[in-house]
Amino acid sequence: MDLIKSVINTLASPTILFTLIIVTFFFIFPLNDWFYRWNKRLKLDSFWTNRGGIKMFIILLVFFAFGLFDENFRLIVLKPDNVPIVGLIFLVAFFTWLSMKQAVDNDVHIENNENVNEYSDPDDKVLTWPDLVYIELIALVLCTVLLIVWSIGLQAPLEEPANPTLSPNPAKAPWYFLGLQEMLVYFDPWIAGVLFPSLMIVGLMAIPYLDTNKKGVGYYSFKQRMMAVSLYMFGWLVLWVLLIIIGTFLRGPNWNFFGPFEYWDLHKLQPLTNINLSEYVYIIWFSTGMPDNILLREIWGILLILGYFLILPPLFAKTWLKNLYNRLGNFRYSVFIILILFALSMPIKMYLRWMVNLKYIVAIPEYFFNI
Amino acid sequence: MSKSEKKKKESILLRLGNSQVWKSIIRSGVPRDRRGRMLSVLNSVFLHLHPVRMPKHAVKLKYTWCMGGLSFYIFLVLTITGILLMFYYRPTIEYAYTDMIDLREQVPLGIMREIHRWGAHLMVITVWLHMFRVFMTGSYKSPREFNWVVGVMLLTLTLLLSFTGYLLPWDQLAIWAITVGTNMARATPFLGHEGPGAALLSIGDINLVHAGSDVRFALLGGRFVGEAALLRFYVLHCIGLPFIIVIFMAVHFWRIRKDGGISTPL
Amino acid sequence: MDDQKHLEHEQNKPEDAERSTENPEEMKQSEENSTEMKIAEKKEIEPKKPEVPKKKLEKGPTKKRASIGKGSILVEPIKRRSFFSWLTLAWVAFTAATGTFFGMMLRFMFPNVLFEPKQTFKAGYPDDYTIGEVTTSLKEKYGVWIIRDTEHIYALSVVCTHLGCTPNWLQNERKFKCPCHGSGFRKSGINFEGPAPRPLERYKIVLADDGQILIDKTKKFAYEKGQWSDSESYLVV
Ligand code: HEM
Ligand code: FES
Repeated sequence: MDLIKSVINTLASPTILFTLIIVTFFFIFPLNDWFYRWNKRLKLDSFWTNRGGIKMFIILLVFFAFGLFDENFRLIVLKPDNVPIVGLIFLVAFFTWLSMKQAVDNDVHIENNENVNEYSDPDDKVLTWPDLVYIELIALVLCTVLLIVWSIGLQAPLEEPANPTLSPNPAKAPWYFLGLQEMLVYFDPWIAGVLFPSLMIVGLMAIPYLDTNKKGVGYYSFKQRMMAVSLYMFGWLVLWVLLIIIGTFLRGPNWNFFGPFEYWDLHKLQPLTNINLSEYVYIIWFSTGMPDNILLREIWGILLILGYFLILPPLFAKTWLKNLYNRLGNFRYSVFIILILFALSMPIKMYLRWMVNLKYIVAIPEYFFNI
Repeated sequence: MSKSEKKKKESILLRLGNSQVWKSIIRSGVPRDRRGRMLSVLNSVFLHLHPVRMPKHAVKLKYTWCMGGLSFYIFLVLTITGILLMFYYRPTIEYAYTDMIDLREQVPLGIMREIHRWGAHLMVITVWLHMFRVFMTGSYKSPREFNWVVGVMLLTLTLLLSFTGYLLPWDQLAIWAITVGTNMARATPFLGHEGPGAALLSIGDINLVHAGSDVRFALLGGRFVGEAALLRFYVLHCIGLPFIIVIFMAVHFWRIRKDGGISTPL
Repeated sequence: MDDQKHLEHEQNKPEDAERSTENPEEMKQSEENSTEMKIAEKKEIEPKKPEVPKKKLEKGPTKKRASIGKGSILVEPIKRRSFFSWLTLAWVAFTAATGTFFGMMLRFMFPNVLFEPKQTFKAGYPDDYTIGEVTTSLKEKYGVWIIRDTEHIYALSVVCTHLGCTPNWLQNERKFKCPCHGSGFRKSGINFEGPAPRPLERYKIVLADDGQILIDKTKKFAYEKGQWSDSESYLVV
C-alpha cells in the first residue's frame, strides 16, 4: 500500500509527470502521419472504444476510491472548493472520450467513402417541437436536480473573515485561474498575468481564421483535421486542465510541490535559489562579474529571445513546417507560429527552472522588465 | 372512468384550450398536429430562438451535448439566485461577511448561496465543454467564424463574472485571491505602475503611472483591496458584467440562426 | 459563400466611391449635374418656393446613382472641397466628443479623495527595539516590520514584491517567506529565492520632535533603484 503511494507520489512530482505526459501525448493525439502510424501500431486508438472508455473510467474510479482511504488525499480532494475539479476531471475525461469515439468512428466511414454518422437527408428534418424541446427540458431538469443535490450536500465554503495582513498558506486563486497561477512561479507577473491571458483570448479567437482546412464541419472527425485537433487537445488538456489539477491538488504550503498522498508539511524545505541567465554568463562562465551597463548585462538573453521569435519561424517554414507554410501563406503562418512559440515557452521555461534553476532569461528589474 | 366522463373531461380541456383567455396567450392552442407544433415554436418569443425544423443529428444529445443550452440555463439560474441574494447582502466591509453567515443561518431554505456558488462553478465547466464540442465538430469554420469569436468573449466574461463574485463573501479566500489577481494588473505593460515601460511614462521626476493612477487602481478604487474595491466588484458582478454578457449572448444566439443553424455535414 | 461575397462587396464600397469622385470623367459629370440643377432651380424657383430643397435633394443624385450603380452618398452634387471639409469636421467633432465622453468615464473611476487608513504613524522609541531582531508586532495594525541592526533602524513593507501577499517572518530560518508562491527574503529585505523579482520596499522613517519614530508609508524606497542609501530610508541610532 505505502509502496504504491510512494510510487504515485514520485510519479506526480512535476518533472516526471510533465515529462511523461509530454512524451506520450502526441502518440495518443498524433500531430502528423508519422505519429499517426505509431498511434495505430501501438493500438493507442483503442482508448476510443466502448471498452477503452470503460477501462479508463474504472481506472479513474479506482484511483479516487483508493485515494479516499488516505487521509492526506481525502483532505485535499474533499475540500468543498475542490469538488468541482474532481467533477471536472471525470467530465473532461468522459467528453474527450465521447468526442474521440465519434471522431474515430467517422474516420472509418470517410475512409470507406460512406456518409458520416451525422449525415441525414436534408429534406428529412425533425420538428423542434417536440424532438428538441423535450430533450432540452429533460436536460434542464437533470441539471437542476444535480445542482440542488450538490447544494444540499455541500456547504459553500466560508473561511475566516478577511484579514489584509495575514495571507493564508497556501493562498490560491479560484480554480479556473490556477493554470495561470502556476505560470506565475515561472514567469514575471506581466507575462503570466497579462500577456499570456491576452494571448490566450486572442489565440482562441484566431482559431477559425488560422485553420484553413475546409473539411470536418458539422461532424466529429479526427484524421481529416489531425493537427488542429491534437494542438487544441494539447493546449486544453495539458496547458490548461493539467496545470489546474497540479495547482489544486499538488501545490501546498509555501507553494511547494506535494504528492497526492503526501502530508502538507508547513516546513518542507525546498531550496529555490534561482539564477538569472546574465549571472550564469558573467559570473559562472566568464567569471568577470556583472557589467554595469544594463544593455550589456542582458544582451545574451535579449539575443536569445530575439532568436527564438525571429529565427525559428523562418527556419521551421523552410524545414518541417514547409507544407503548413505553403498552405497558410505568410501572414497566417506568422501569427500561427508566434502563438505556438508562446505556448511552447511555458513548458520550456518550466524545464529550464527545474533543470538549471534559471530565474530570468532577461532580467531588468530596474524597469520591471523580466522575461 | 366511463366513456361519457372521459368525453366530458376532454371537452373541459378543449374548452379551456379554445377559451379567449388561453388563445390570447398561446395563439396556436395545444399542439396536436404538425402545423400546430410548428406554430407553437414560431409564436413563442422564447422558443423561436429555435428554428422550426432541424436536421436529425442536431437534436441528438450525442452531437451537441446540450452544453450551450445548459450554459444559458445555468446563467438564468444564477441570475435568479443572484437577485435573491442581493436582498440580504450588503457590500461593505462591516457587513459583507456577517451577511454571508446570516444567509446560511437565518434565512429559510438557506441553500441559495450554495446554488449560486456551485452553479457558477458548473457554468464555467459547461462553457468549457461547449467550446470543446464546438471545436471537435469543426463548427467554428466558415461561416461560423465570428460566432466563435463571440463565444470566446462569452467565455472571458463568464470567467470575469466568477472572479468578481469571488470577492463578495469577504473572507480570507476572497481577498487573497483578488489581491493576487489584481496585482497582476499592476504589472500590465505601460498601464500598471509595476509593469514594463511604466517608468518611461514620466514628465521629469513625476511618474504619470503610479499606484494611484494605474489600471489596478481603476479596478479597485484604491491602492489595496478594501471598501472601494468591494463596492466596485459588487457593481461589476451584479450589473456591469451581466449587462455585457447578455448583449453578447443575444448576438451569439442570433448568429447561430443567421449562420445557418447548428452545423451540418454537407 | 453568399454571405462572404456580400461582405466583400460592402467593404469595397467606400473605396469605390472615393475612387469614383476622383475620376475626372465623373467629376465632369457631377459638374454637369450641378449646372443642370441650377437650371432646374431657376425654372422652379418662381412657382413654388418651399419645394426647392426637396427637388434639390432628389434630382441630382438619381442620375449619378445610375452611372455608378452603388448609390453612394459620397457622390452628392455638392462641391467637393466644401463637402469634404464639412464631413471631416463632422467626423473630427464626433470623434472628439466621443473621446471626451469616454475620457470622462475613465476619469470618473479615479476619485480625488481616498478613504483609506492613515499612512503615517508613530512607532515608539528607538530603544524599544532590540538589536538584530525583527519586530513583527506592528505588522497586523500598520503593515510594517521594524528591524534594528547595529547602526540602523529601518521599516520594511509587508507586501511581497511578487504579487502582494504578506510574507511571514520565520524566526528559526531567519528569513521572510511568502506563502503564495514561495518567495524568500532576507532580514534586510533582499530577495533570494522564489519568483519575487526585487527586494521588499522600505518606508520613510524619521524621528519626530518628541523623540518617537515616525513612519510615513506614502514614501517608499526601492533597493534596485539605489534608494536605500537615501537618508530618510533608515534611522541612525
Ligand atoms: C455563456 C456562454 C455560452 C452560451 C450560453 C452559449 C450558448 C450556445 C447555444 C445554446 C448554442 C446552440 C448549440 C449548442 O447548444 O451547442 C451555441 C452554439 C455555438 N456556440 Fe456557444 N455559448 C456560449 C459560449 C461559447 C463559447 C465559449 C464558444 C467558443 C469559443 C461558443 C461558440 C459557439 C459556436 C461556434 C456555436 C455554433 C455551433 C454549431 O453551429 O454547431 N459559444 N452556443
Ligand atoms: S505573492 Fe509572494 S511569492 Fe507570489
